[in-house]
Amino acid sequence: MTIRKRELAEDEVHELLRKFKDGDITAFTKLYEHLYPKVYAYVYYRVNSVQDAEDLTSDVFIKAIENLREQKGSFDAWIFRIACNRVIDHYRRRSVRQNPLNVEDKNLGSEDFDAIMEGHFFQQEFKQALTQLTHDQQEVIILKLVEGYKTDEIAAMLDKSVEAIRALQFRALSTLRTLLDAKRGEKRKR
Amino acid sequence: MERNIEALLDLCIEEMKRGKSLEACLANYPEHADQLAPLLRLAQEIDNLPLPVALPEAMSATLFNLGTRFGVSERKKGALALSRVLQARRSWAFGAVSFLLILLFGGATISTKSIPGDILYPAKLATEKVVFFFSFNAEEKVELRLRFSYERLKEMVQIFEQSGTLDKELLKSMLDEAKLALEHGNQLSGLQASLFQVKFNHANAYQKESLEHIRIAVPPSELKTVDRAIEVCTNRMQWMMKRMKEGRHVPWTRGCDMW
Repeated sequence: MTIRKRELAEDEVHELLRKFKDGDITAFTKLYEHLYPKVYAYVYYRVNSVQDAEDLTSDVFIKAIENLREQKGSFDAWIFRIACNRVIDHYRRRSVRQNPLNVEDKNLGSEDFDAIMEGHFFQQEFKQALTQLTHDQQEVIILKLVEGYKTDEIAAMLDKSVEAIRALQFRALSTLRTLLDAKRGEKRKR
Repeated sequence: MERNIEALLDLCIEEMKRGKSLEACLANYPEHADQLAPLLRLAQEIDNLPLPVALPEAMSATLFNLGTRFGVSERKKGALALSRVLQARRSWAFGAVSFLLILLFGGATISTKSIPGDILYPAKLATEKVVFFFSFNAEEKVELRLRFSYERLKEMVQIFEQSGTLDKELLKSMLDEAKLALEHGNQLSGLQASLFQVKFNHANAYQKESLEHIRIAVPPSELKTVDRAIEVCTNRMQWMMKRMKEGRHVPWTRGCDMW
């Protein structure tokens, strides 16, 4: 297990943000390059299609820029909160059920073909199994294991206690394990 | 007890993230190893998944949306009203010209997917010219030039995949359109200029990457051309990065080019 790449530390993000708010627009480009992949990865695992993920990520940034003056505290927490609300709105508006079978090859980052295919199948299964979790459980798993945040950071982001995050994580992983084992059992029978 | 196992699971995940092996973690808590092991293996599997990669086109599209929003919000009311009139004029002109082209081409749909050699390709180019003619500000012109550059790249790749030949005209057009985008970018200022810089860099990186893929399969006689084009993209990226580091906007200078 490795620590997910965090190109910019939180204090660097805040410094760029401060500069951007003061009118240094080149700071925005650095922030954007840093944040877009993170927000996209989060949204990608929460919605059905790549197209929806791209559209919603775009919405998140528009919303963030529009409300930048109101931003306080952790910037990551703030932008993930916007992303989370956009995902909820998306499902509410369209009354879509999550059915994430549309994982496209172009979204895989590895160069090794076997690894790509192996990762691809697991990614599909994982994405599908995620939909069976509660909203909070999904958030914890994505923020912890996909985005690489620490438990206390997630607790601050979701406004919950560290104990609550640990409980959510335990239940989420237990459910995911049951679902994925069942899926693998089915495959072996075929 | 249950509360305990939740904390232990979290502790093990954090330790594994710091480089400790799964076995070493389990060895610390042998009484819970059976319960922890499958959950930690799953956590490890999820953590090892490749991150979904955001496509450069999607990043550029978002930047354009941001630029448009900001541009509109920064304009004065009078300018907005004028913009609406111009937008209407452009839509009308585009509709009229498209209608004429449809008549000319026997009612067939003007295909945006056509490539050189297709009967509809001249119509595609004509439509591009008309749309560009009716664009009224640098922001729109920049966007269109980048879009045309992307179109030429798409066409070139499609032809290459179909016939294995490199269309040098399309390659040149792709680079020329990007160069023209730079020239229009010179007129942008403030946030618009910064957004353009990022967007141009994404487009350029994407072109370079595509050319590098083509280079693997291109006949030896075409290698020099492809290498030269890759060099142009590299120079442009370096030049733009330098400008961005200096915190300057895009003024077009002779130092940048090229083909």
